[in-house]
Amino acid sequence: MLLHVNPASGVPTYLQIETQVKHYIAAGALVPGDALPSVRKLAADLRISTNTVARAYQNLERDGVLRTVPGGRTYVAENPGSFLKSERIRRLRPYATQIAVEGTQLRLEPREIMELVQQELDALEEVNERYGDLDRKAR
Amino acid sequence: MNDMAIWTEKLVKVYPGVRAVDGLSLNVPRGVAYGFLGRNGAGKTSTIRILLGLARPTEGRATVLGFSVGREQVAILERTAFVSESKTLYGDLTPRELVRFTRGFYPNWSDQAVTKYSRLFEIPMDRPFAKLSQGNRTKVYLLLALSQRADLLVLDEPGMGLDPVVVDEFLRVLVEDVIGEGRTVFISSHQLADVEQIADWVGLIDHGRLLLEARLDDIKSQFRWVTVAGNALPPTKSPEVLLVASEGDFCKYLVKKDAEAFAAELSGQGATVAQVSPLGLREIFLALVRKEEPCTSGNVGEIAEAVSLPLS
Repeated sequence: MLLHVNPASGVPTYLQIETQVKHYIAAGALVPGDALPSVRKLAADLRISTNTVARAYQNLERDGVLRTVPGGRTYVAENPGSFLKSERIRRLRPYATQIAVEGTQLRLEPREIMELVQQELDALEEVNERYGDLDRKAR
Repeated sequence: MNDMAIWTEKLVKVYPGVRAVDGLSLNVPRGVAYGFLGRNGAGKTSTIRILLGLARPTEGRATVLGFSVGREQVAILERTAFVSESKTLYGDLTPRELVRFTRGFYPNWSDQAVTKYSRLFEIPMDRPFAKLSQGNRTKVYLLLALSQRADLLVLDEPGMGLDPVVVDEFLRVLVEDVIGEGRTVFISSHQLADVEQIADWVGLIDHGRLLLEARLDDIKSQFRWVTVAGNALPPTKSPEVLLVASEGDFCKYLVKKDAEAFAAELSGQGATVAQVSPLGLREIFLALVRKEEPCTSGNVGEIAEAVSLPLS
């Protein structure tokens, strides 16, 4: 797994890790059951505090994205979508609010905002298909 | 008695003509990497000297690893490794001899660590200390400090003379062998980039006073510049605003939390909010230490007391 963090940016480092892990999963680069590096290994590789990585992993676990087995290894959870739909919507809502607020503040039309989201979804879909192809070729 | 790695309460150190430390209250939790940041002469080294028993505080109290500074200094020194800013050791001795001389003082000393770090840092172990380059002297200090396997590692301007490769190796060692083991690192520095990379917590000091102490990630997720068009604005009394600065035709507010709400309030008063943007440690440091030129109206950029974010 290739993660990059930029500590000098204004984005908290643990959030950078969370976002990237979620992105890898959404794009199909990480699949359920895949092992993640240990907290200490990832922290050492990125030269960031183990506490920062631990915070990111804990948040991802709380969100049902990762699961840690007794003994300490961390895996991509079997079914990240296993939460009730209402719960999944509840979790996404703050981002939707943010997009709506920021988009409006930037004086974008509702249609333009929706298009932007659609483009991002399409891009993910495309990456996902490419990984699917690679998988089939590998077999 | 408390559970902090370092705790100080209203610490004051007066040297003739200068209050080097001026009412400093620090809370350094255990098991974190804490960046103690400030300009040259901000009072960082004076504070460290007090903690290690090298100077007596004029006023105030402090504990290190739960032990009282002054009264229980031996217990503190046994558990604390220190790399000082001025690298003077016995010049005639080689690093190997320095190791032999030092190890007896520390109950947790590890010879394995000596072997590991002397190789990793490529230290010439048999050349007299006085003949080593500045970078190699720093490495010897780091070797001696790391091999103590101390509960608390205090580094005063550790990066002196080290090349980027060694700094990078050293950061890895700090993460893997010190923080990863639940031990505490306290780094005093003005090298913001290295500290920003590794620190969980930062304390920012200037003129002997604490300007800010918080988890770095919390600072980043909450601190914002709110940039507003125009120069004459209604004064704001919001406690979340740390300072106001003018830049050309714009005013910038440094807001410590709830920046969106603050921006909305300004918009409600008829102001045009141009931008709400996050900022890195460097910008926060410069803004707080420099106290940029205040706007003609609005509250002037005085910082009344240290900012502390709630633990989350």
